[in-house]
Amino acid sequence: MTDERGSGRRGEIQSVYDEIAGHFSETRAYPWPEVEEFLASATGDLGLDLGCGNGRHTALLTEVTKTAVGVDVSRGLLGEAQTKMHDDDWTGALVQGDAAAIPLASGSVDVAVYVATLHHLPDRESRLESLRELDRVLAPDGRALVSTWSTAHDRFEAPADAETGFETTVDWTLPDGETVPRFYYIYAPTEFERDLDESGLAVTDSYVSSGNCYAELR
Amino acid sequence: MNEDLMDILCCPLDKHELELAVESRDDDEILTGTLTCPECGEVYPIEDGIPNMLPPDMREEAPA
Repeated sequence: MTDERGSGRRGEIQSVYDEIAGHFSETRAYPWPEVEEFLASATGDLGLDLGCGNGRHTALLTEVTKTAVGVDVSRGLLGEAQTKMHDDDWTGALVQGDAAAIPLASGSVDVAVYVATLHHLPDRESRLESLRELDRVLAPDGRALVSTWSTAHDRFEAPADAETGFETTVDWTLPDGETVPRFYYIYAPTEFERDLDESGLAVTDSYVSSGNCYAELR
Repeated sequence: MNEDLMDILCCPLDKHELELAVESRDDDEILTGTLTCPECGEVYPIEDGIPNMLPPDMREEAPA
């Protein structure tokens, strides 16, 4: 297989989430407080939830933007989002897409959330490309919140001041006991900021919360 | 998908605007159809109301 864009390995996480979509969605019922706080002061015409999963944050975006679009690589997760949308009575647009090749017009997005997804992209070039893509789709006065798992999380033994992160595999255990390995790149907070700077995004705030690095961007 | 989404959707490869062909719809909601990029010729399917905008090399499920 030709794999110039690293997209073959991105396809792996797609099939992983297709396989675990139903069970994963059950465990992702509530929005993260960090996202709720960010969205409390956000407004605009178009909202983007990149790596929307079952749409728990897309639902919040519909409350602060005229149109909210949830993008995910996994058709299985988008099916969960579709069900949640009908059950919970909100209206968003769902699009299957790659976080490193965003199918949205440049400068169109006023508010973006990109949480717990960047760490699934399998190599630095695709992670950087994804951040450059986020920068491309953001409107001139658009705002974004990006989060990724970090070395500061309790489950990792990396030193708190680590300069670089590491690749790892974290198993998802299905109800029948079957385990499905998921690829993660665990960012060191300083490295996260370096990649954000390199992408062209302007960091307005950054912090570590519950083992995740967060950055608010323009 | 709602037809209004055409204002912001673009080809993931070259970011060109897309041409919509509707196969079936339910009121404003397009259920099946295609989105074609006139620039590169790539065709993106709409199935069950969700456009599949994955780049072509990611569209087939990766082998397990």
